[in-house]
Amino acid sequence: MVDNKQQWKAWLYLAPALVLLLIFTVWPIINTVRMSLLENYSGLRAAAGETFKFGFNNFIQVVKYKQFVQCLINTILLTVLTVPISTLLALVISVCLNSIKFLSRFLQTIFFLPYVTNSIAIGMVFAAMFNIVGSFFGTQNEIITTAGIINNVIEFFGGHRINWINAGSTYAANIAVMTIYIVWNALPFKILILLGGLQSVNKQYYDAAKVDGTSRWRVFWRITVPLLSPMIIYVVITGFIGGFKEYSSIVGIFGETMGPADASGRLNTMVGFIYDALKTNKQGRASAAALILFGIILVVTLVQLRWSKKRVHY
Amino acid sequence: MKKKELEEKEVQIEETPVVEEIKEEMVQDEPDMIKEEKERSSRVAPVVMASEEEQNKDMAKIVSAQKVLKVVFKVLVYLFLCVMALAVLFPFYWMINSSLKTLAEYKRPVPTFFPAEGIQWGNYAEAFTAANLGTLFINTVFVGIVSTILSLVITVLSAFAFARLDFKGKNILFAALLATMMIPGELFTITNYTTVTNLGWLSTYVVLIVPFLVSVFYIYLLRQNFLQIPNELYLAAKVDGTSDIKYLWKVMIPLALPTLISITILKMMGAWNSYIWPRLVANDTAHSMITNGLRNAFTDTTGDVNYPVQMAAVALVSLPLFLVFIFLRKYIMKGVSRSGLKG
Amino acid sequence: MKKFRLVLSLILAFLAVFTLVGCKESTNPSGDFGITLEEIIANAKKLSYSDQGQGQQQVTGTPNFNVPEGGYDGSAVTIKFYHTMGKNLVTVLDKYIKKFNEIYPNITVDQKQIGNYDGVRDQISTELPAGNEPNIAYCYPDHVALYNLTGKVVHLDNLINSTIADDARNGGQIGLTAAQKADFIKGYYEEGSQFGDGLMYTMPFSKSTEVLYYNETFFTANSIPVPTHWFNESEDDTTSLEAVCKKIKELKPDCIPLGYDSEANWFITMAEQCGADYTSATGDHYLFSNPTMKTLMAKFREWYQLGYITTQKLYGSYTSGLFVADENDSSTTNSYMSIGSSAGATHQRPEKVTVTKEDGTESSEYPFVVGIASIPQMSTTYQRVISQGPSVCIFNKSNPQEVVASWLLVKYLTTSTIFQAEFSSVSGYVPVLHSVAQNEQYAKMIAKADGTTNIAYLSAKVCLEQADFYYTSPAFNGSSVARDQVGALLTTILSKEADNAVKMINDAFQDAIDECEYQG
Repeated sequence: MVDNKQQWKAWLYLAPALVLLLIFTVWPIINTVRMSLLENYSGLRAAAGETFKFGFNNFIQVVKYKQFVQCLINTILLTVLTVPISTLLALVISVCLNSIKFLSRFLQTIFFLPYVTNSIAIGMVFAAMFNIVGSFFGTQNEIITTAGIINNVIEFFGGHRINWINAGSTYAANIAVMTIYIVWNALPFKILILLGGLQSVNKQYYDAAKVDGTSRWRVFWRITVPLLSPMIIYVVITGFIGGFKEYSSIVGIFGETMGPADASGRLNTMVGFIYDALKTNKQGRASAAALILFGIILVVTLVQLRWSKKRVHY
Repeated sequence: MKKKELEEKEVQIEETPVVEEIKEEMVQDEPDMIKEEKERSSRVAPVVMASEEEQNKDMAKIVSAQKVLKVVFKVLVYLFLCVMALAVLFPFYWMINSSLKTLAEYKRPVPTFFPAEGIQWGNYAEAFTAANLGTLFINTVFVGIVSTILSLVITVLSAFAFARLDFKGKNILFAALLATMMIPGELFTITNYTTVTNLGWLSTYVVLIVPFLVSVFYIYLLRQNFLQIPNELYLAAKVDGTSDIKYLWKVMIPLALPTLISITILKMMGAWNSYIWPRLVANDTAHSMITNGLRNAFTDTTGDVNYPVQMAAVALVSLPLFLVFIFLRKYIMKGVSRSGLKG
Repeated sequence: MKKFRLVLSLILAFLAVFTLVGCKESTNPSGDFGITLEEIIANAKKLSYSDQGQGQQQVTGTPNFNVPEGGYDGSAVTIKFYHTMGKNLVTVLDKYIKKFNEIYPNITVDQKQIGNYDGVRDQISTELPAGNEPNIAYCYPDHVALYNLTGKVVHLDNLINSTIADDARNGGQIGLTAAQKADFIKGYYEEGSQFGDGLMYTMPFSKSTEVLYYNETFFTANSIPVPTHWFNESEDDTTSLEAVCKKIKELKPDCIPLGYDSEANWFITMAEQCGADYTSATGDHYLFSNPTMKTLMAKFREWYQLGYITTQKLYGSYTSGLFVADENDSSTTNSYMSIGSSAGATHQRPEKVTVTKEDGTESSEYPFVVGIASIPQMSTTYQRVISQGPSVCIFNKSNPQEVVASWLLVKYLTTSTIFQAEFSSVSGYVPVLHSVAQNEQYAKMIAKADGTTNIAYLSAKVCLEQADFYYTSPAFNGSSVARDQVGALLTTILSKEADNAVKMINDAFQDAIDECEYQG
């Protein structure tokens, strides 16, 4: 039933958002498409009056890049690893936070603090935790000033030191560190959303379940998760979108070289590629890469939405 | 216990009659699985039938066993929360720790967990006096509050349209909006800069507020929340002749308050921490934002950033905001905690 | 098997170092790339300051700005100036803008700090297409190359050479006098014409370079000479960095003798000192993959594996932190030499420690005295040190008066001895004028130079002494890509595990070149 009045009203309500989006989001996207289709487009060159011919050469260049597949793999790998882990962890933390009474306000406040933490500080913490300060690993002259907190802990329990991010570290170790970092970074936001969602769920369900003596596990899967499903699908979808755009977290740990000292660029991502292209004002190429990334995210999101339609309980 | 009940009563009295009514209706709208659960447990219950005495004894046993289990579980929950809290807190602690160090100590290869060269309160003093904090603070508060309020209004209206109204192309439009989130924003900057230049908005408050008022991110979040409120309520309200706006104000907004608070926090924090865009479009002193003043103030003579002082500045600027939210949240949550959705 | 091979290669590397001179041709692995280290040194020694090509580059372009006939007509203009100066420098700048306004009351200067250097670059490259760029900007050469894609960067040639009278100054002219031109330190001034067409794009504003910091206390105690050149040139060479590192390593096996802060500077400086190709502003840009550079990198790989040297990225922290670390603290390691920016001298000074004297009184003292010297060279007759630090460029505007007014400010700031003296003493940067050394205040300051309290003055003093040695590398859109790539290339070659080092080095160079060609 779509009556005319509702139509009219809907567009009225949406008008402010749509107008602003048209100007500040849709128009830039159209411009992005335009730039991607002009061969070797550069905004600064264009300002000098240079014209560019129409073509797909930007897209070809992106795909032909030696490290393109590596960038793509890194992007996808990090997303696929971090989104489920951070979502699950945030869900468990939120449920726990919501289930306690004693200290609940205090703990909720603590999980709130990361919002006021400077991102530089977060990067530094990781350096302190994973960075081995020292040189000449693997040679007879190996010198280590500090192996980092994590390695200290590992060694305390009799384990072997792991080279996480320095010269000679393995790809797997690098990815492990990035996964921890990104999950850590993503947790506060997800907790905020999920906790907000949980606080909207009526306690009566739980009271009912309590009376019936339903097990916690059952309550969690049969009541909490379904009732929270709209928020869960929200954090998953936005998590995927954010994950595909990962860049600054890698710079935070590995620096602009996007990799350990002996393998620079190994952890580069699609957005990292876009930044590289923008550095020399290759906006055509950057736009093409952005649209390729857009295509990938779009497909993934559509699949998720389709899947969620059947499962999300509104 | 008693206090709790009292509180509950108070809260209920405060609630508007409309919400009361709706809640009653919502209770009837139980999801299937809950009914299923109830049926299952009632079927199982009669099996444990014995003499009353025995039953009582058994019950006592079960209850005590359950109590132990409960305590163990609680301990585990607290333990888990504390460990996670420590993990989450670590960077925050590190920020405070760094903000109290000298630059030389900050640069040490082996990081220190407590300022070894004495606590440098001077960093805070320097951060406080370095920038033109007065104007910057007022600018930032103004921009933060105005953009948060406008943003909330736009978000609520749009989310309402997507969640409650039917119109042609709704799903396509929504999918298109979601799609706009998927393009890396860095590419927008240049085009948007040209746009605001052409609009003549450079170095005004408008340019600091308007371009980022709409966030699909928040619209989507609130829509998810609104969708959880049963549609029947809306239709009923329609029959009663309640206007959309009144319904929104009296029903939807109270029910979605937790989410709206989350959005407020995110938006405020965003406005508070935004840096690149304000610097680009309003780099005159009259419209500078706090982060611009702060970040620029702490390069030492050689152009190196004096990170300890910068950390001090960030802590100094963020903490009042943080305290305001703690207060706000506590205050608002009181009213919200009992008025859940779906029930 | 792998370990065994590694040990074996290490032993071989050791042998190679010990018997370097004895049997150079046969076992010296430096011969793997078609040139030996001895040949490289011999080539470097043949270089002289006069046949340094880039400085006297032929002018092939036509300047894009002509000074209006009346010069500056005294009209009211506002000049926007973007920079990265911190608070204390802005104070100095404001003071001299005031003085500037006494001469030119109608030129309003609106100076703005825009974050750091990258911040300035990003801001201006966004503003350029919309036409909102400032009049004057602090810049690095690669930024100017980027801005120049729009053709809006003013060529300064006609302004510099203009003899049109400057009405505001009696008897003055718009351009530079011969004396003013000669006052500029040559290497700094020539940076402005490194853009391939010989035209002048920038004026040097305040500069820095790299210097060698060494632990003077330790060097004196163990009678170690300050190294003047990189490699052993004879069997009993004691003043090479190689010999000094070896000696320090023998004395203190757990230390890292030298920390080099910037990998990219190291690579580029080596190319410059050897007369080897790095990049070119015209034609094929990326020329750094050549036998000389490969041979040098192979040699430094050996050094790295012997534990002689490390860099910021390889060490995982600032190398200045390594240099100032306590040598008696067994839980940490330290270095005795550090190559870093001359402007960062205070970071290379250790923290004071409390010392108890014989009479029981306590005092706070620096644990060691820092010495500063020029970095090691390939040839003592062709010394090269990098020139870094900001220059300024001017943007073209539809109103030529704005451009002339911008130039007048730039000229005022860059040719003013007192401004340069005061600015340098506050910033720790090196003045761009010879005459600053004669400035009374500055000379007084330099006279106070020491390796402890006044370490910044000592750094300035060393920089003044090497005024003839500055070089800059060619600038073009993409020169920063080359810089990033060679920095990463160096760390890769030094630290990557490889069974076949020669192949690894060849591959790494090829990868870096490929990346440059693609990104540049």
